Amino acid sequence: MERREALRLMGAASVFSVLSSDPFTATLQAQLAANKSGTLRTLSPAQNEIVLAMSDAMIPATDTPGAKAAKVNEFIDLILTDWATEVERKIFLEGLAQADSKSNTLFGHGYAAATPNEQAAIVQIFDEELASTRNEELPKQVRSWEVTLLYPFFAQMRRLVLVGYYTSPIGQDQELKVEVIPGALHGCVPVEPEVKQ
Amino acid sequence: MRSVKKPETYDAIIIGSGMTGGWAAKELTEKGLKVLVLEAGRPIEPDRDYVEHVPITEMKFRGMNDRQETLKDQPIQRTCYACDEWASKFFVKDTEHPYTMDPDKPFAWIRGRQVGGKSIMWARQSYRWSDLDFEANAREGIGVDWPIRYADIEPWYNYVEDFAGITGQAEGLAQLPDGHFLPPMEMNCAEVAVKERMASQFGRDRVMTIGRAAILTQTHNGRAACHYCGPCHRGCITRSYFSSVNATLPVAEKTGRMTLRPYSVVHSLIFDSQTRRVTGVKVIDGQTHRAMEFQGRIIFVCASALESTRILLNSATPEFSSGLANSSGELGKNLMDHIMGGGADGVIPGFLDRVQTGRRPNGIYVPRFRNVSGTEKNFVRGYAYQGQAEREGWERGIHESGFGASFKNSLRKPGPWKMTFHGFGECLPNPANFVEIDKERVDAWGVPVLKIHCEWRDNEKALLHDMMIQAAEMLTAAGAVEIRPYKQNNPPGLTIHEMGTARMGTDPKKSVLNAHNQAHDVKNLFMTDGACMASSSCVNPSLTYMALTARACDYAVSQMKKGEL
Repeated sequence: MERREALRLMGAASVFSVLSSDPFTATLQAQLAANKSGTLRTLSPAQNEIVLAMSDAMIPATDTPGAKAAKVNEFIDLILTDWATEVERKIFLEGLAQADSKSNTLFGHGYAAATPNEQAAIVQIFDEELASTRNEELPKQVRSWEVTLLYPFFAQMRRLVLVGYYTSPIGQDQELKVEVIPGALHGCVPVEPEVKQ
Repeated sequence: MRSVKKPETYDAIIIGSGMTGGWAAKELTEKGLKVLVLEAGRPIEPDRDYVEHVPITEMKFRGMNDRQETLKDQPIQRTCYACDEWASKFFVKDTEHPYTMDPDKPFAWIRGRQVGGKSIMWARQSYRWSDLDFEANAREGIGVDWPIRYADIEPWYNYVEDFAGITGQAEGLAQLPDGHFLPPMEMNCAEVAVKERMASQFGRDRVMTIGRAAILTQTHNGRAACHYCGPCHRGCITRSYFSSVNATLPVAEKTGRMTLRPYSVVHSLIFDSQTRRVTGVKVIDGQTHRAMEFQGRIIFVCASALESTRILLNSATPEFSSGLANSSGELGKNLMDHIMGGGADGVIPGFLDRVQTGRRPNGIYVPRFRNVSGTEKNFVRGYAYQGQAEREGWERGIHESGFGASFKNSLRKPGPWKMTFHGFGECLPNPANFVEIDKERVDAWGVPVLKIHCEWRDNEKALLHDMMIQAAEMLTAAGAVEIRPYKQNNPPGLTIHEMGTARMGTDPKKSVLNAHNQAHDVKNLFMTDGACMASSSCVNPSLTYMALTARACDYAVSQMKKGEL
């Protein structure tokens, strides 16, 4: 989906009108308390559905499986539970609420219930918002010793989806075809269809 | 490694089993001495402990490190690039190994306590010093003159290189003498282009060569050639890079004359004021915390620059009230580290139909060019660059826009070639950069800790600035685009080339050690790790520590045979 189309669907003004998240935070807390079963420890079932849908919109199945099959949601739950700070976790969970809120405003239903095109439109909006803040923040983030998740929500999402996917067995073995032991060094060889970094 | 307790009187006691302790163990046992090696940390079993082939898929945090755990236990160690999710177990827990600093002068003391010490995680870069380095203090009237010159150490560089195996390319540069090299590793497409373009712009003034590294590019002394898996700092089951576990300690073990005792935290040395010799070592068992003593005819302190210094400071006697063998008052002073992190990166256009295969555990090197033939106005000494060109991987997608199938397909292919020059500058000896015993604090074994006072001074800061500017200039000459100069604010210590706190010199009033790494004040006491350095050069120091250790061992045994020791 093109950026222009996404913006036409939602209307520029509504980008900011849907950011208020307090009611959603309350809902999230309730969901969190309800989620005592299953393998997920931070994401509620509803939040998990958003993560599954959004990660798969970002890294879909092609000729290799996508983010959903790679269980990126479980990696994100692990990071939110055992790695992230409370502030970072809050930013992420509020971001999920924003995704739902944007979808409700634009399409009349929550993110997980949206069509693939609608889900992509929301991702496009987040991506554009992030791109507009990236220029000044990038150098600092790239060079930081202390790698954190103290980004806007969608920067967290990008990082976690990509790390979660490309470091999964599907990402390493099927998508990238990583060789743990190359055996030899060749400094400058032609790219072959099989050769992937 | 075997661990045996008896006998308890040895020809030599070596404190530390890392880079220099391993060499001392090999040299002294091969020369017939019965040797006790005391290692503060745990034993290392390569089959069990090396993790270089554990895929990222099996790491709990997929390479993002156990952030909460390391923030709690290793807040300092985790700032080292090599203290990653695989290798953090090779770094100490800061909670057990405290040290103190001035609040406004951070110092990153990066430590490894295990058999092999930091030689397990070191970056393997191996360069010779030249007389440009050995003569610098005398020429400029800074610190004390080195008691040796290149001619004194050259045969020992040859000797340790022949055993360790150093890959590299001879360049015929006076400021960076060539060694006995194994075949060089290949540069990649972009590096070759940068090298050629630099040559046309700078001639022989700024030469880019492949890194010289203690990694085997062919079978050598029974050790296998590198298989290019990449992360050497996690161990190497084929023993293809040099570490004491991979190379020197097995040779010492084979002589049958080495007793290696892990979990042996050295508290202090025992000095006999009648004979004016050290007679033994006070040890605290790392597991039981039981105190014990071992006796030896000679003692080699190879515990790393600051740990060795700490042991001598903690060995004060009524005569040596400020630390053993410290009649000069220089023990603990003149702490140096290389100032690192001025540089630049940029994209080298083209070569998009070409890739590098294999993960080369080595980069490129630009030897020092400042104050070599000319004279700079703003600073003395100089710096060198390490660096590399590489095609970016999927990680670039984190900081790009885009998503969906086309985005995924684009990340499957490598990105553009990115070239980086990262500078390492010489640090001047300055008595105001020093360590002392903090009487208020002990470590987990009750040993008084160090208080470190160290900061970069004007000359280092000027080098850092210049290395940023010149890196960008070289990238421009190399045809790079999107050039990003940078200047990091790294604390001293983080380069892990700390040195200088028991310097060598000819004058016993101004130095702790003589030309043979022998304490001026205590003839059977030797220190051969980074503590001995009278200046820092700008090249990576480990090869020089190895050569000085082998040389000191040769001297010590010849003196013993003459009855002088």
